Amino acid sequence: MTSEPLVSAVISAAIIATAVVALFSTRVSVSLIFLFYSSMLLGIAFTVYGDALVGLMQIVTFSGAVSVLFLTVILMTGESRLRIGAGPTTIAAATGGVVVVAVVLTRLVAAGGGAPPSSYPDVSMQTFAFLWEYRPWDLLVLVTVFAAAMVTVANLFSREPS
Amino acid sequence: MITDQTVFLFTGVVLAFVGMASISSSRNLIKTVMAFQVVLLGANLALFASGLDAPLQSGLGTRLTTDSFVFLSILVGAAVEAVGLAVVVTLYRKYGTLDPSEIRKLRH
Repeated sequence: MTSEPLVSAVISAAIIATAVVALFSTRVSVSLIFLFYSSMLLGIAFTVYGDALVGLMQIVTFSGAVSVLFLTVILMTGESRLRIGAGPTTIAAATGGVVVVAVVLTRLVAAGGGAPPSSYPDVSMQTFAFLWEYRPWDLLVLVTVFAAAMVTVANLFSREPS
Repeated sequence: MITDQTVFLFTGVVLAFVGMASISSSRNLIKTVMAFQVVLLGANLALFASGLDAPLQSGLGTRLTTDSFVFLSILVGAAVEAVGLAVVVTLYRKYGTLDPSEIRKLRH
Protein backbone atom coordinates (compact mmCIF):
# COMPACT_ATOMS: atom_id res chain seq x y z
CA MET A 1 0.00 0.00 0.00
CA THR A 2 1.53 3.29 -1.06
CA SER A 3 1.18 6.52 0.86
CA GLU A 4 -1.74 7.73 -1.28
CA PRO A 5 -4.16 4.89 -0.42
CA LEU A 6 -3.02 5.32 3.17
CA VAL A 7 -4.12 8.96 3.10
CA SER A 8 -7.48 8.03 1.59
CA ALA A 9 -7.88 5.25 4.16
CA VAL A 10 -7.20 7.64 7.05
CA ILE A 11 -9.64 10.21 5.69
CA SER A 12 -12.26 7.52 5.03
CA ALA A 13 -11.89 6.08 8.54
CA ALA A 14 -12.28 9.56 10.04
CA ILE A 15 -15.36 10.29 7.89
CA ILE A 16 -17.02 7.01 8.85
CA ALA A 17 -16.17 7.46 12.54
CA THR A 18 -17.53 11.00 12.72
CA ALA A 19 -20.66 10.03 10.76
CA VAL A 20 -21.37 7.06 13.01
CA VAL A 21 -20.93 9.14 16.16
CA ALA A 22 -23.14 11.86 14.65
CA LEU A 23 -25.95 9.46 13.84
CA PHE A 24 -25.94 7.29 16.94
CA SER A 25 -25.26 9.94 19.58
CA THR A 26 -28.10 10.47 22.04
CA ARG A 27 -27.79 14.26 22.02
CA VAL A 28 -28.68 16.25 18.95
CA SER A 29 -26.10 18.93 19.73
CA VAL A 30 -23.29 16.35 19.73
CA SER A 31 -24.67 14.96 16.47
CA LEU A 32 -24.51 18.41 14.92
CA ILE A 33 -20.87 18.88 15.96
CA PHE A 34 -19.81 15.55 14.47
CA LEU A 35 -21.85 16.09 11.33
CA PHE A 36 -19.96 19.34 10.87
CA TYR A 37 -16.65 17.49 11.17
CA SER A 38 -17.84 14.80 8.77
CA SER A 39 -18.73 17.36 6.10
CA MET A 40 -15.46 19.17 6.69
CA LEU A 41 -13.45 15.96 6.25
CA LEU A 42 -15.29 15.16 3.02
CA GLY A 43 -14.45 18.64 1.72
CA ILE A 44 -10.82 18.04 2.66
CA ALA A 45 -10.90 14.73 0.76
CA PHE A 46 -12.29 16.42 -2.36
CA THR A 47 -9.64 19.12 -2.13
CA VAL A 48 -6.73 16.75 -1.55
CA TYR A 49 -7.77 14.48 -4.40
CA GLY A 50 -7.75 17.19 -6.99
CA ASP A 51 -10.97 19.18 -7.00
CA ALA A 52 -10.68 22.22 -4.78
CA LEU A 53 -13.80 23.77 -6.33
CA VAL A 54 -16.07 20.91 -5.27
CA GLY A 55 -14.30 20.68 -1.90
CA LEU A 56 -14.81 24.37 -1.26
CA MET A 57 -18.47 24.11 -2.27
CA GLN A 58 -18.90 21.11 0.03
CA ILE A 59 -17.40 22.96 3.01
CA VAL A 60 -19.29 26.21 2.35
CA THR A 61 -22.63 24.48 1.78
CA PHE A 62 -22.72 21.66 4.30
CA SER A 63 -20.25 22.72 7.00
CA GLY A 64 -21.45 26.31 6.74
CA ALA A 65 -24.99 26.92 5.59
CA VAL A 66 -26.62 23.59 6.41
CA SER A 67 -24.96 23.42 9.84
CA VAL A 68 -26.33 26.87 10.65
CA LEU A 69 -29.77 25.73 9.46
CA PHE A 70 -29.56 22.69 11.73
CA LEU A 71 -28.45 24.85 14.66
CA THR A 72 -31.37 27.24 14.08
CA VAL A 73 -33.88 24.38 13.96
CA ILE A 74 -32.39 22.76 17.07
CA LEU A 75 -32.61 26.02 18.98
CA MET A 76 -36.16 26.70 17.71
CA THR A 77 -37.43 23.31 18.76
CA GLY A 78 -35.49 23.20 22.02
CA GLU A 79 -34.38 19.65 21.25
CA SER A 80 -30.76 20.14 22.07
CA ARG A 81 -30.83 21.09 25.75
CA LEU A 82 -27.54 22.75 24.93
CA ARG A 83 -25.17 23.30 27.81
CA ILE A 84 -22.33 24.98 25.99
CA GLY A 85 -19.38 25.37 28.33
CA ALA A 86 -20.90 23.11 30.97
CA GLY A 87 -21.70 19.77 29.38
CA PRO A 88 -18.85 17.24 29.57
CA THR A 89 -20.25 15.33 26.61
CA THR A 90 -20.25 18.41 24.43
CA ILE A 91 -16.72 19.29 25.44
CA ALA A 92 -15.53 15.71 24.87
CA ALA A 93 -17.22 15.62 21.48
CA ALA A 94 -15.70 18.90 20.39
CA THR A 95 -12.26 17.87 21.64
CA GLY A 96 -12.45 14.49 19.95
CA GLY A 97 -13.50 16.09 16.70
CA VAL A 98 -10.66 18.56 16.80
CA VAL A 99 -8.21 15.73 17.50
CA VAL A 100 -9.54 13.72 14.55
CA VAL A 101 -9.24 16.69 12.19
CA ALA A 102 -5.78 17.50 13.53
CA VAL A 103 -4.55 13.93 13.05
CA VAL A 104 -5.88 13.80 9.48
CA LEU A 105 -4.42 17.18 8.60
CA THR A 106 -1.07 16.23 10.11
CA ARG A 107 -1.02 13.01 8.14
CA LEU A 108 -1.89 14.81 4.93
CA VAL A 109 0.77 17.43 5.43
CA ALA A 110 3.31 14.71 6.18
CA ALA A 111 2.31 12.70 3.12
CA GLY A 112 2.23 15.39 0.50
CA GLY A 113 3.52 18.61 1.93
CA GLY A 114 -0.02 19.97 1.90
CA ALA A 115 -0.26 19.68 -1.86
CA PRO A 116 -2.56 17.24 -3.72
CA PRO A 117 -0.97 13.87 -4.61
CA SER A 118 0.92 14.20 -7.87
CA SER A 119 -1.18 11.56 -9.66
CA TYR A 120 -4.31 13.64 -9.05
CA PRO A 121 -3.85 17.07 -10.63
CA ASP A 122 -6.16 19.87 -9.57
CA VAL A 123 -9.07 19.88 -12.02
CA SER A 124 -10.94 22.81 -10.49
CA MET A 125 -10.46 25.10 -13.47
CA GLN A 126 -11.34 22.36 -15.96
CA THR A 127 -14.47 21.56 -13.96
CA PHE A 128 -15.36 25.21 -13.84
CA ALA A 129 -14.81 25.52 -17.59
CA PHE A 130 -16.91 22.40 -18.19
CA LEU A 131 -19.72 23.82 -16.04
CA TRP A 132 -19.38 27.16 -17.81
CA GLU A 133 -19.71 25.39 -21.17
CA TYR A 134 -23.09 24.00 -20.10
CA ARG A 135 -24.09 26.95 -17.91
CA PRO A 136 -27.59 27.51 -19.40
CA TRP A 137 -28.68 23.98 -18.48
CA ASP A 138 -26.89 24.07 -15.15
CA LEU A 139 -28.41 27.42 -14.27
CA LEU A 140 -31.84 26.25 -15.39
CA VAL A 141 -31.67 23.21 -13.13
CA LEU A 142 -30.31 25.16 -10.17
CA VAL A 143 -32.78 28.02 -10.51
CA THR A 144 -35.67 25.55 -10.74
CA VAL A 145 -34.54 23.61 -7.70
CA PHE A 146 -33.85 26.68 -5.58
CA ALA A 147 -37.11 28.34 -6.62
CA ALA A 148 -39.03 25.19 -5.71
CA ALA A 149 -37.23 25.01 -2.36
CA MET A 150 -37.89 28.68 -1.61
CA VAL A 151 -41.58 28.41 -2.52
CA THR A 152 -41.95 25.29 -0.38
CA VAL A 153 -40.23 26.83 2.64
CA ALA A 154 -42.22 30.06 2.31
CA ASN A 155 -45.43 28.07 2.00
CA LEU A 156 -44.62 25.99 5.07
CA PHE A 157 -43.89 29.06 7.18
CA SER A 158 -46.92 31.00 6.00
CA ARG A 159 -49.88 31.37 8.32
CA GLU A 160 -52.89 29.17 7.87
CA PRO A 161 -56.13 31.07 7.19
CA SER A 162 -58.26 31.08 10.32
CA MET B 1 -4.91 -4.00 -5.65
CA ILE B 2 -6.43 -1.44 -3.30
CA THR B 3 -6.59 2.03 -4.82
CA ASP B 4 -7.95 5.36 -3.65
CA GLN B 5 -11.00 4.76 -5.82
CA THR B 6 -11.73 1.45 -4.06
CA VAL B 7 -11.32 2.98 -0.62
CA PHE B 8 -13.59 5.93 -1.39
CA LEU B 9 -16.23 3.77 -3.08
CA PHE B 10 -16.28 1.47 -0.04
CA THR B 11 -16.56 4.49 2.26
CA GLY B 12 -19.43 5.89 0.21
CA VAL B 13 -21.32 2.61 0.42
CA VAL B 14 -20.71 2.35 4.18
CA LEU B 15 -21.93 5.92 4.71
CA ALA B 16 -25.05 5.27 2.65
CA PHE B 17 -25.91 2.11 4.61
CA VAL B 18 -25.20 3.73 7.99
CA GLY B 19 -27.41 6.67 7.03
CA MET B 20 -30.24 4.44 5.85
CA ALA B 21 -30.02 2.38 9.04
CA SER B 22 -30.26 5.56 11.08
CA ILE B 23 -33.19 6.85 9.02
CA SER B 24 -35.12 3.64 9.65
CA SER B 25 -34.39 3.56 13.38
CA SER B 26 -34.44 7.25 14.32
CA ARG B 27 -36.99 8.55 16.83
CA ASN B 28 -36.24 12.19 16.12
CA LEU B 29 -37.00 14.01 12.88
CA ILE B 30 -33.89 16.21 13.14
CA LYS B 31 -31.75 13.09 13.39
CA THR B 32 -33.58 11.75 10.35
CA VAL B 33 -32.60 14.80 8.31
CA MET B 34 -29.03 14.42 9.60
CA ALA B 35 -29.06 10.79 8.48
CA PHE B 36 -30.27 11.95 5.07
CA GLN B 37 -27.26 14.25 4.94
CA VAL B 38 -24.94 11.33 5.70
CA VAL B 39 -26.51 9.32 2.86
CA LEU B 40 -25.96 12.32 0.62
CA LEU B 41 -22.32 12.59 1.71
CA GLY B 42 -21.85 8.91 0.87
CA ALA B 43 -23.46 9.34 -2.54
CA ASN B 44 -21.30 12.38 -3.30
CA LEU B 45 -18.15 10.55 -2.23
CA ALA B 46 -19.01 7.50 -4.36
CA LEU B 47 -19.78 9.73 -7.33
CA PHE B 48 -16.51 11.59 -6.87
CA ALA B 49 -14.60 8.31 -6.53
CA SER B 50 -16.15 6.87 -9.67
CA GLY B 51 -14.45 9.56 -11.73
CA LEU B 52 -11.16 9.60 -9.86
CA ASP B 53 -9.24 7.52 -12.39
CA ALA B 54 -11.23 8.64 -15.44
CA PRO B 55 -9.66 10.70 -18.22
CA LEU B 56 -9.70 14.47 -17.88
CA GLN B 57 -11.11 15.66 -21.20
CA SER B 58 -14.67 16.91 -21.33
CA GLY B 59 -17.49 14.60 -22.38
CA LEU B 60 -19.63 11.92 -20.81
CA GLY B 61 -17.93 9.37 -18.58
CA THR B 62 -14.95 11.56 -17.77
CA ARG B 63 -13.78 13.05 -14.53
CA LEU B 64 -15.17 16.47 -15.33
CA THR B 65 -18.63 14.96 -15.76
CA THR B 66 -18.57 13.24 -12.39
CA ASP B 67 -17.16 16.31 -10.66
CA SER B 68 -19.88 18.44 -12.23
CA PHE B 69 -22.51 15.98 -11.00
CA VAL B 70 -21.02 16.15 -7.50
CA PHE B 71 -21.20 19.95 -7.70
CA LEU B 72 -24.84 19.79 -8.74
CA SER B 73 -25.63 17.12 -6.14
CA ILE B 74 -24.21 19.26 -3.33
CA LEU B 75 -26.40 22.23 -4.26
CA VAL B 76 -29.55 20.19 -4.82
CA GLY B 77 -28.94 18.28 -1.57
CA ALA B 78 -28.65 21.52 0.37
CA ALA B 79 -31.97 22.73 -1.07
CA VAL B 80 -33.66 19.44 -0.20
CA GLU B 81 -32.33 19.60 3.35
CA ALA B 82 -33.63 23.16 3.74
CA VAL B 83 -37.09 21.95 2.76
CA GLY B 84 -36.77 18.96 5.12
CA LEU B 85 -35.84 21.19 8.04
CA ALA B 86 -38.74 23.53 7.24
CA VAL B 87 -41.08 20.52 7.35
CA VAL B 88 -39.57 19.53 10.71
CA VAL B 89 -40.21 23.00 12.16
CA THR B 90 -43.77 23.03 10.82
CA LEU B 91 -44.50 19.60 12.30
CA TYR B 92 -43.06 20.68 15.64
CA ARG B 93 -45.24 23.79 15.69
CA LYS B 94 -48.33 21.76 14.84
CA TYR B 95 -47.86 18.70 17.04
CA GLY B 96 -45.33 19.81 19.68
CA THR B 97 -43.11 16.78 19.23
CA LEU B 98 -40.47 15.48 16.85
CA ASP B 99 -41.13 11.78 17.44
CA PRO B 100 -42.61 10.30 14.24
CA SER B 101 -44.66 7.70 16.10
CA GLU B 102 -46.12 10.36 18.41
CA ILE B 103 -46.99 12.51 15.42
CA ARG B 104 -48.68 9.51 13.81
CA LYS B 105 -50.75 8.94 16.97
CA LEU B 106 -51.70 12.62 17.25
CA ARG B 107 -52.92 12.66 13.66
CA HIS B 108 -55.60 10.08 14.45
